[in-house]
Amino acid sequence: MPASGKTYRRIRNLVLAWLTLVALGGFLLDIPRINILEHTARNLYFHVPMWFTMMAAFFVSAWRSGQYLSTRDALRDTQALEAARVGAAFGVLGLATGIVWARFTWYVGQDIWWNFDPKQTMAAVQLLIYGAYFTLRSSVEEPEKRARVAAAYNLFAAACVPFLLYVLPRQMESLHPGAEGNPAFSDITHPTMRVVFYAAVLGFIGLFWVFYRQRVRLALLKKRIDDASGP
Amino acid sequence: MTIRPVQETDTTYAAPYDSIWTSQEVPVQPPDALERTMLAQDKLYVVLAVVLIIWIGLAAFVLRTDRKIDRLERKVDARISDEAPPE
Repeated sequence: MPASGKTYRRIRNLVLAWLTLVALGGFLLDIPRINILEHTARNLYFHVPMWFTMMAAFFVSAWRSGQYLSTRDALRDTQALEAARVGAAFGVLGLATGIVWARFTWYVGQDIWWNFDPKQTMAAVQLLIYGAYFTLRSSVEEPEKRARVAAAYNLFAAACVPFLLYVLPRQMESLHPGAEGNPAFSDITHPTMRVVFYAAVLGFIGLFWVFYRQRVRLALLKKRIDDASGP
Repeated sequence: MTIRPVQETDTTYAAPYDSIWTSQEVPVQPPDALERTMLAQDKLYVVLAVVLIIWIGLAAFVLRTDRKIDRLERKVDARISDEAPPE
């Protein structure tokens, strides 16, 4: 990877400024008040982009794994791992924010934090599938074999994403928007909210990219130090 | 800054050392401009202020990490070229 130069810094600064504007827009712009949701509708700008960012990260990860399988370049394996790690972190944030949001809207007055709603359950399963990716990596000692096995598994993990997050929850009874009997995002969202939402998705994907670049640089640095001080 | 002597006669408003005790009536002022802004929209703007403080802190963290990686990369560059000249 080329040393992170001007382009990286420019995009990083743009992402940080951009997300500041998203936060301002997310709070300051007026939104229609809907029953039950009230001001929590603003969570659309923060909770949903976590998932979009996770999917983008897992896509990058799978892409790098594919590159590894065709080139056998160790850098691709490192990139796949770091993208998956940052993606999983965003997924955990998405799940946690979803739990809080559901507690005070879907389950208001019922004191329920987790009720195995299909959308939430499938998202948790998806995260476990990526958890297995990290476990799998740590169970293979030999670096080339580890990279190869992990890359193949990573393609399987990424292939699960559309089914677990979209296909299955939509066929079951879920309280989540977009599920059976519930209108999807596009049917219910006010134009102003859409603008902020798309801006937030872009911004958080940019933030993923910043973290991803940082972590890849650190991983390469660690490798160089290990190689230099090795036998 | 001028230091004014404590008004001993006016015990209902400015107590000694400016402390307010539970037995005393808390002076309530009409909301100033800042309060009028922050309390609007069910105090939503207080949340915005908190979120912005957190976000600015996190953004500063990202920048600091970048600078640390830069420094570390330069250090490793220098050390590796010192110790092991390329064959």
